[in-house]
Parts: sequence; C-alpha cells; structure tokens
Amino acid sequence: MSDRVTLASTTRAEWIKFRSVRSTLTGYLVTVVLTIGLAALITSAIRTHWTSTTELRRITFDPVSSSLGGTLFAQFAVGVIGILFITSEYASGSIRTTFAATPRRGAVMVAKLLVLGATTLVMAEVVVLAAFLLGQRIYQGVVPTASLGDGAVLRAVLLGGVYLTLLAILGFGLGLILRSQSAAISVFTSLLLVLPIIVIILPTSWQNTITKWEPSALGRAMMSPTPALDTFGWATGTLVLCLYVTAVVVAGIVLVNRRDA
Amino acid sequence: MIRLTSLTKRYGDTVAVDDLDVEIRPGVVTGFLGPNGSGKSTTMRIIMGLDAPTSGSATINGRRYHDLERPLHDVGALLDAKSVHPGRSARNHLRALAASNRIPPRRIDEVLDFAGITSVADKKVGGFSLGMSQRLGIAAAMLGDPGVLLFDEPVNGLDPEGIRWIRELFRSLATEGRTVFVSSHLMSEMALSADEIIVIGRGRLITQGTVGDLTASADGVVTVRAVDADRLANAIEVGGGHVERRNDGTLAVSSLAAEAIGRIALDAGVALSELTPRRASLEEVYMDLTADAVEYSSTAAPHE
Repeated sequence: MSDRVTLASTTRAEWIKFRSVRSTLTGYLVTVVLTIGLAALITSAIRTHWTSTTELRRITFDPVSSSLGGTLFAQFAVGVIGILFITSEYASGSIRTTFAATPRRGAVMVAKLLVLGATTLVMAEVVVLAAFLLGQRIYQGVVPTASLGDGAVLRAVLLGGVYLTLLAILGFGLGLILRSQSAAISVFTSLLLVLPIIVIILPTSWQNTITKWEPSALGRAMMSPTPALDTFGWATGTLVLCLYVTAVVVAGIVLVNRRDA
Repeated sequence: MIRLTSLTKRYGDTVAVDDLDVEIRPGVVTGFLGPNGSGKSTTMRIIMGLDAPTSGSATINGRRYHDLERPLHDVGALLDAKSVHPGRSARNHLRALAASNRIPPRRIDEVLDFAGITSVADKKVGGFSLGMSQRLGIAAAMLGDPGVLLFDEPVNGLDPEGIRWIRELFRSLATEGRTVFVSSHLMSEMALSADEIIVIGRGRLITQGTVGDLTASADGVVTVRAVDADRLANAIEVGGGHVERRNDGTLAVSSLAAEAIGRIALDAGVALSELTPRRASLEEVYMDLTADAVEYSSTAAPHE
C-alpha cells in the first residue's frame, strides 16, 4: 500500500471533520423533526377535515406527496449543513490547514462531496420513509392511502431523499463559490423562496413556462407518483436538478483551484 | 531546504513579494524579518502552495508543494494559530489531519504531549487562549515529523514560559538537522532565537546573513566627553572621524574606533571624562535597514 495522500485518506479526514462539529448533528436533527413532525401535522389535519373536503380535492388527492410535505422545510436544514461544511472552513481559516495537508483541492472537494452526499442520502431516505409510513398510518381508515408495494409510490418516496441530498450538495456548491456563510444562505433561500414569489408577479403565460424550472417545483415533480400538469415528469425533474447542482459544484471547484486560499 | 527563485506576487498594482531569491538551509534557525505588511506571510503562503506566485517559484527539497506526495511528512507549518474550527476538539483536529496523510493515530498522543496540551485535548478549540492555540498549531506542524518547518509570528500571544519553550524548540529542531524558518516583525526576538536572518521590506530582500554579520556591517558610535570638547572635536575631524555634538555636551563620534579617539585626545592634550564605544544593536540595524521600507510609519507622511 502506498503512503501517498489519496482520495480515500482525504475522505477519511473529511469524515472525521464532518462528524466532529455540532452543526452537522443539529442540522440532521432539524431535518428529522421537520420532515417527520410536519408529516404528522399535515396528515392529521387532512384526516380531520377529510369529510368536509370537496369532491375535486378528493379526486386529485395524493397521499404520497402530502405525507412528504415536510421536505419542503427540511430542504433548508440540509442546505445549511452543506453550506456550513465548506464555509466554516473559510470562516475559521482552517481551509489553509486542509489544503496544506491535501494540496490537490479538487480531491478535497470530491472527498467532502462523498461524505456529505452519502451521509445525507442515508439520513434523508430513512427520514422520508418514516414520514411516508407515519403519514399512511395516520390516513388509514379515513383517507385513501398508498403502499410502497406500488413501484411509482416507492420511487416518489425514494426520490424525496434524493431531492434533499441534491439540495445539500447545492448548498455546498454555493458555499464553495461564495465562501461566506451568510451570502450562501441568502442565495440558497432566494433560489427556493424568493424566486417563486418573483415569478408570481410575471404574466401567467411566463409563469407556466418558468415555474416548472424552479428547484422546489422540480422537487414536487420528483416526489409525486403521477406527473402533475404543471411540472416535469419525475425523470426530467431529477435530471434538471442534477444539472443545476453539477453546474454549481463544477463552477465552485474551478474557482477553488484558481483562487488563493 | 527551502528555495525561493525570483519569487514575485502582485495583487493588482500592489507588489507583495518582489523578486525574492533566497535559500533557507537545514540545520539552522532562519529568521524571516520585516515590518508588518512586508510580505512575510504571503511568502510563507506561497511556499505552502496556498497562494500562487505571479512569477518565480518556491520549492521544498527541490519540489513544489503541490508535487509533495505526503505534504505533512515534508513540511509542518504554523501559519495562523486561530485557523481551526472553533467547535472541534484539539484531538479531532489532529485526527483529521493525521488521517489525510496516513499518519498513525498514536502520533496524535505524542504531539499533544510534546506541545503540552494533553489535558485540554478533548476541549473545543474555540475556548483556547492564543497561547494554547499556538501550541496546538505546533502539535499539528509536528504531526508528520517533517524535515522543514515554517512558523509565522509564533511568539505572538505566548507567555514568557511559552516563549522560552518555543525558542528551545526551534534550537533543538535545527540541531536535529531540520530546516526551521521563523517569521517575526520583532528583531529583538530574532536576535535571541535565529542563527541566520533574512530581512525584507516591501517584498524586497534587504539583507541576509548571520546575526553577527548584520551588526558588524553597521558602524558603531563612540560617545566622548571632554572638558575642552571644541578642541577635541577639531582634532577628531582632522584625524578622520565624524563628529556630531549632542545636547548634553557629549560628542558622538563615528568612523573611528575608541582606541584611535583616545590616542587623538592624548596627542591633542585634551583630558577625557568619558569614552564609551557602543556597537549598534541588531534592533538599530534593523530599524535603519527597514526605515525606507515601512509601509505605514507613525511619523512619516504618506509617500507618493
């Protein structure tokens, strides 16, 4: 075995760093609480009001995405985990120690992405499955439910975890480009919250074309078992979000190789 | 060994490092001296591969930093003691560094002990005093048992006991044959801890040599007091000395040794009441050398 600094040794180092700060744990706890807690709240409310729900709402009702509604809040928690994983290194100056230990900066970033991506994916899949199962348990007997035995349902639930993971990586990429925690969080929330509001001001014909390209609309597309009229299908939605995330991360890695640390 | 070849770094119009050519040898402590803002830290960051030079190069044992296979085994550096995530413990900081360069975990306990911070190893770094952070930085630098060590302003924030410890550390590291490169803006500190000194100002090399070389190159001044100062002053000037009259009635004589002045006084028949040779201190030599190179001076009006 060679003694060189490799991607494996760098990944081990990043794994130690990732789990040795409290913000990581806090971020994941918030993700769990938001996703599962909101699933309980939303589905309970739907169950309570089901008898007074209109026929039209009942026909279009989706037991899958309604039980995964918490992900639209948890996405900010995972985004911040990704942002902090890189910006905390710039804030403290420890990025210099990191680059002195591993001068190949691209390798450092790939290692960080492996750690962040794998951890978030495992976490997020467990959380969305729990949220889905809890939601269906609450619906049971009153509201129509969905089963994981249905391929489209399983896919929608699992893509919920993929969506959260991609947003964590998006946050990381923004943090890498901006190097500042506050700037990265501002841009991240603007993309997810402010952009849709701006689009609402635009003429309706524009809205219909633009809205489906928004990250949160892509998430809705990924998490619904049957394609909605105003969004992409799940495959296109996943692909477009992957392209966004890749573009941001690649831009970040190009910049980090050019800039002085 | 560290070698800088025509090293230049520009930030826009500002030249931080200007065509620096030096060699830092193993086995001695080399002081890197210059006023604040003279380019010391930039030079060290370039050596560490953190900043890219505009032109020229910096090599460690003949290789650029980026080409080192296990950097922490070749180079250890303490650039900024506070550059550790405040929420991480000292031990976890060292564990991550060790993992990245495949350094065995037992080495972590060794360097913690070496730096005297074993008792706080599991505490968060955010609560560390500057002195403790410096010690953690030194522990991190020693992790890979490197042959080349860089320290940027290492005595800042240390108590007298810590300063003595670090001076002895430099000495013993150099005795073991390592290259020890230490920056400071304080000549007095370097006079005590360095064998060789490189002085820079505004990014340019001003001088380099041993501590002895630097003081020897400067003229000493002899203070002379005599009853008949005027007659003596004339005699000294005739004898080739340069005389400056001080307010307290003494003469400050340069370009002549004390012995020669005494002989002139005897020949002129002037009685001396004081004859004090004084060699320029390293501090004075330094102030003299860098006087033009201080970017922000408290007395001078801005240049340009």
